[in-house]
Amino acid sequence: MPDSSNETDNDQVNYDMTDKKRKYALLIEAHSQDLYKYALWLCKDKNMAEDVMQETFLRAWKSLDSLREAKAAKSWLFTIFRREHARQFERKQFDYKDVEHMDTIADANMGYDSRPEAFALRNALVKLPEKYREPLEMQVLGGFSCDDIANMLGISSSSVMTRLFRARKKMRHILGHETMPHLGVVGE
Amino acid sequence: MICSEFKKLALAEPNSAEPSFIRHSKDCPDCLQYVGEIRQMDTDLSNSLDVAVPSSIMAKIELNQMLIEEEEQGQEASSGFSFNRYAIAASFALALFVSGFMANSFLGGSRDDSLGEDYLALLSGVIEHVDEQPMTPVWSAEKANEAANMHLSNYDGAMKLKFLENLQFTRICPMGKYRGLHASLETDSGSVTFAYIKGDKVDDLLDASYEGYAVRVKPLRDGNLIIVSNTNKALQQADKQLDEAIYWNI
Repeated sequence: MPDSSNETDNDQVNYDMTDKKRKYALLIEAHSQDLYKYALWLCKDKNMAEDVMQETFLRAWKSLDSLREAKAAKSWLFTIFRREHARQFERKQFDYKDVEHMDTIADANMGYDSRPEAFALRNALVKLPEKYREPLEMQVLGGFSCDDIANMLGISSSSVMTRLFRARKKMRHILGHETMPHLGVVGE
Repeated sequence: MICSEFKKLALAEPNSAEPSFIRHSKDCPDCLQYVGEIRQMDTDLSNSLDVAVPSSIMAKIELNQMLIEEEEQGQEASSGFSFNRYAIAASFALALFVSGFMANSFLGGSRDDSLGEDYLALLSGVIEHVDEQPMTPVWSAEKANEAANMHLSNYDGAMKLKFLENLQFTRICPMGKYRGLHASLETDSGSVTFAYIKGDKVDDLLDASYEGYAVRVKPLRDGNLIIVSNTNKALQQADKQLDEAIYWNI
């Protein structure tokens, strides 16, 4: 008897590729939670996160036939999301000075854990330079490997590793876990 | 692998499956503790960003898919019919444009600056949205009403739209800060576009001319009904139908 507890997200999306509706339903079921979590964090606004997510799934439906491998589904979906987010962000030109200002009330309104230690972690993430923060968000929130992230960002795997190394190093420093800098740099 | 190399890799990819990385973590308690701390930080960070997916967004995604699937099926089933429907939609859009242009010429202005800020914000949002979104015909009134009701129930479980045979629902409107329902309605005096937007109710009903259209903004339930029409007569007829149609707490 197979052990279903070992099923991963990709296994869940390991469906009959000819059945578009089933494929789409499984795509939503397997990845909507992670995608929404990523969307809300990136958009910092519930309404915008919902809009971009809706548009992402709409575009996914339209180009679902181009998705050939179930194991690539998540990175494919996140890539669509990132493009759509960039497009809407550019078009709407929101004033992000306000929404980037983090406070515990704003976090609670978005449904985040309101404990001080959770706030400190989010605050540390926000303080990272964007080039370091981006791959860390993708790895921690999306569960992507360095190779996946490299493909999505269009940079080399060694660059991704360098950025992740620096991101975590800075995170630990901000959180007071270690002083900087101790270690050298991976790659680059 | 030596400890410094291990720590570099631990910071870059704490769950690395590289054999030398795994072997070193078994042999060196300090490094095992180090990578454990990093994995814990990742877990804590991920947990700190956990949020529940709102049920409304799932309903909207399913609804969008249903609408576009129906559109696709309709196009496949009858390309001639489809052409006709789009032609009608295009004619309607053209008619609105032409009449808008004529009205502008007669009225001598594109908008009434004397309108209050709240009204202007609503009207400009709706007109901009209607201009941007292409018509997405729904092939049966039953589906249109079902879709509209599913959308309205996201605002309030008790909110329902009375079945309207002539309601040609266009699409769910992802309108940024506006959460609305946008559709067109056939009246005896022509097509009328309307939007219902939840929240921030205006104080009073307002009839005005805006960008060449006859418009009405009226507070309704817990939101605003915005009607955009070519003529006052069609606007009145649509308003009467909608007033009867959109209700809740039944």
